[in-house]
Amino acid sequence: MALTRFTDIFAWVWRRLQGKPPVPFSALYKKFKGILERHNTILELIGDMGDKLGGDYVFDRQYILDSCERLGDQVFKLISDLNLLCQGKNVALFTAFERIQFRVREELAGRRVLSRTDHILPLSELTHDLADEGGNKMTSLGDIKNILGFNTPDGFVVTAGAYFEAMQRAGLRKPVAETIRALCASGGQDLAEQARALRQSIMDMPLPRELCRAVEQAARGLAGDKPLFLAVRSSAWDEDSESSFAGMYETVLGVAPADILPAYRRVLASLFCEEALRYRLHHELCAEEPAMAVGVMPMVDALVSGGLYTYAPLQEQDQAMVVSAAWGLGKPIVDGTAETDTYILRREPPHELLSSDIADKSTRLVLDASGGTRTEAVPEAERATPCLSAAQLTLLAKTAMALEHFFKRPLDVEWAITPEGGLVVLQARPLSIRPNACAQTVDASEAVKGVPVLISGRGVTAMGGVSAGPVHLMTEGEDLADFPYGAILVSRHSSPRYAKVMPKCRGIITDVGSATGHMATIARELRVPTLVQTGSATRTLREGQEITLDADHQVVYEGVVDALCRFELVREDVFEESWEYRTLKRVLKHISPLTLLDPKSDAFAPESCRTFHDIARYVHQRAVDKLGSLAETHRELRDSAPRRLVTKLPLGLTVIDVEGGLDPAAGEDANESDIRCRPLKALMEGMNVSGMWETSPVAVDMGSFMSSVTKTFGAEASHPSRMGRNLAVISREYLNLHLRLGYHFTVVDAFLGGSVNDNSIAFRFMGGVTDLSRRSRRASLVAGILEQFDFMVEIKGDMVTGRIKKHPTRTMLEKMFMLGCLIGYTRQLDAKLDSEGAVALYMDLFLQRITALRETRE
Amino acid sequence: MTPDAIETPGNVPEEAPGGEAAKRKTSILVLDDEPIVCKRLKPFFQKAGYEVEAFNQPFEALARIEARRFDVVITDLKMEGLDGLSFLGKVKALHPDTDVILITGFATMETARQSFRKGVFDCVAKPFKLAELLDGVRRIEKERGLVP
Repeated sequence: MALTRFTDIFAWVWRRLQGKPPVPFSALYKKFKGILERHNTILELIGDMGDKLGGDYVFDRQYILDSCERLGDQVFKLISDLNLLCQGKNVALFTAFERIQFRVREELAGRRVLSRTDHILPLSELTHDLADEGGNKMTSLGDIKNILGFNTPDGFVVTAGAYFEAMQRAGLRKPVAETIRALCASGGQDLAEQARALRQSIMDMPLPRELCRAVEQAARGLAGDKPLFLAVRSSAWDEDSESSFAGMYETVLGVAPADILPAYRRVLASLFCEEALRYRLHHELCAEEPAMAVGVMPMVDALVSGGLYTYAPLQEQDQAMVVSAAWGLGKPIVDGTAETDTYILRREPPHELLSSDIADKSTRLVLDASGGTRTEAVPEAERATPCLSAAQLTLLAKTAMALEHFFKRPLDVEWAITPEGGLVVLQARPLSIRPNACAQTVDASEAVKGVPVLISGRGVTAMGGVSAGPVHLMTEGEDLADFPYGAILVSRHSSPRYAKVMPKCRGIITDVGSATGHMATIARELRVPTLVQTGSATRTLREGQEITLDADHQVVYEGVVDALCRFELVREDVFEESWEYRTLKRVLKHISPLTLLDPKSDAFAPESCRTFHDIARYVHQRAVDKLGSLAETHRELRDSAPRRLVTKLPLGLTVIDVEGGLDPAAGEDANESDIRCRPLKALMEGMNVSGMWETSPVAVDMGSFMSSVTKTFGAEASHPSRMGRNLAVISREYLNLHLRLGYHFTVVDAFLGGSVNDNSIAFRFMGGVTDLSRRSRRASLVAGILEQFDFMVEIKGDMVTGRIKKHPTRTMLEKMFMLGCLIGYTRQLDAKLDSEGAVALYMDLFLQRITALRETRE
Repeated sequence: MTPDAIETPGNVPEEAPGGEAAKRKTSILVLDDEPIVCKRLKPFFQKAGYEVEAFNQPFEALARIEARRFDVVITDLKMEGLDGLSFLGKVKALHPDTDVILITGFATMETARQSFRKGVFDCVAKPFKLAELLDGVRRIEKERGLVP
């Protein structure tokens, strides 16, 4: 039953009046409060789950399962509560709930729910959140391009979803899973034979026609008009991650766009090559269904290509990175068949060159005009020339270190420099040969012995990790473009603006800030070690001072503690790559984003709910609306004997007390001192403040003014259920007030005093007897004042609506006080707003007075 | 027992863990059948200056306990095969001066409270903050005189 429009509600109430007695208002009100409480519990649960990604907490599988269970239960009950309040069945809302619940359960069961069903995803949209769709290798490249902002080739990925669909349609998905299970059970009997058969079945399977079309079209799109050849690369689940499968799957280079499908199929088939199957058997990966996404990128025309290890695998150079480079394309370097220049650079900025070994490079691999590749002789003059300049080396080093900080592991980076001089990152994978110095057990605690500690045990870890660098103290309004590379950002407040410098900075420390705030979320996305709420970091740390930040332990050391940094890199398990972290992150995708934003839009409907948060938001809004309409139309409220409230100002106010809004001892005629309703009390205080009434812009004595205020009740009053009465429906926390003063009509709907999340005030102001332009001026005056007090304001003609939510109760009560003042103040301005200038003048006057009032009150 | 001079960050802000007088590290055994707990705790405590061994299998941890003494044992309460309370009993029987911190799920908090009678030093509810656990270990060190 969607009773949202007022007339519907009225009609409904009328029908109810004829029939059975309605549910008592107090019972509905209790239900409403129950909804608010549950709504809060849900938001807290969602917040808790989000917190756990921060790195401060240790949580396990059971936690994820329990939290999802509890959350699902609460959301289900919340919907049921709303049904009781609205006395109707909201089938669409239950359907939305079931849909989301199903996705969460699928994720928990390890059946990854692909959030995108596309066959093709452009590289420009890939990040690790889409690792299930795009596979590891391509989504890592996506991170490098889209999160860190480095140049990579363009390209796209044919998703794992496309692979599953092809397998499914060909009837291969089950038999293949069976074969693998059997292989696992038998410990690899007839492995070679089985592998050959599996590969052949992939080579022979028909590909869905739409898939073929999509792949061919995307490949042609990459090439454009130019003769361009493509690199087709494997990007399987788990490739290059905890389990490596490094180099086992196929890469096909120099593919013409027209030949894309056979190349795609070859890469798919390599999923079942003998090596990979054996690896699967020996690494206990039998339980996971294999899947292959395939990356397609143009071959990069390279002037120089090479590789870079961020940690040199050399005994005597354990603080260095090593670069190998040669003219032309990179394949001979990767294959180890080319003569290469070798450079050793320091890992720390400014990455000075420690040594270089320039080879005699006689041949190079180049793209030929038709797009293929050929080997040619290097001109005599260039053979013994270093192929990288000092500037290029520095750029490479900086880039590689930024990647290492992000992936939190020593890396093997493949790169190329184009004829135009641009650096392109082709691939970055965890370094499979651990450098000697890394392989030794690092005793981190030995390393920090005696090192002065600058900050300890203060602050909250927003993102864990260790990093070292010079301090950069942020000043107010500083241009972020000047942020020094490799520094640690230290600032008073956290700010999402810092997202811009995160790829350049090694760590973040703030005095004030929250681990669940927007900046913290971005820091986690970019994996920048971040410590917030240290209280005094900006005073303790000096500009340019070298420090080591250990965000896990909330410690800042003076100087660079190498061993601590190294300890971080040789850790076998990166938290962000654990099943628990990834799974929690994945289920949260169906839980925490809020996509239902605007209650006035058509999309604000059960059908649009995509997350549990959306459902909670929707129910909350519906419940608040419903209570408002109930307060106006409920039969009990119409028929019950309301009490008169005797006030200092002759307001003619009738009060219906639902629960605890008045002193129980109050008589038929209640006094102001009997008011227990907190929002009404605050509002009355505001109205009663003499300054707001007496020092009026027009000389009006109190008595005559107030008589004008109350005289128009009756004939003109148009409220259908409350003809001619100023009415307040109250409880201890709730106020629904309809107040007609003179020609103005004010509605206040407020709930204050529960938890912060439930606090809300809606204020509506309209009417007047002057011409429309003056009324509009008054509207803009009211709007301006409301905005000054942080209300969200909407003006339609001369009607102003202001809403405010989720401030602490104390602050909200001050807003009620201010509204009381405003109701009185604006009434007197009726005829005085003869110019736009007057609007500004009277607004200033009001603000001055309220400031003065606040000071006296304090 | 020789008092150790292990200091961890936060305890002594002026100086890093260890200090010149450090002779022996406080030893910790971690037992939890959820691998993630071991994976997180081990490097964390190592970095804080402790000697750490971590186990997913109760019987392996039991064998280790029989072979040597640890200053601190951190164990999950609910595990397949052997529960934390039995493990606690074995530890206490073998090494009365080993202190045990019990990690418990939300649902088993009541059982955990009972465990205090069996000589548990502290209970920490999952999910917990790393700092909470470190606090517990530091209190043990202090009470046992493992730190000066």
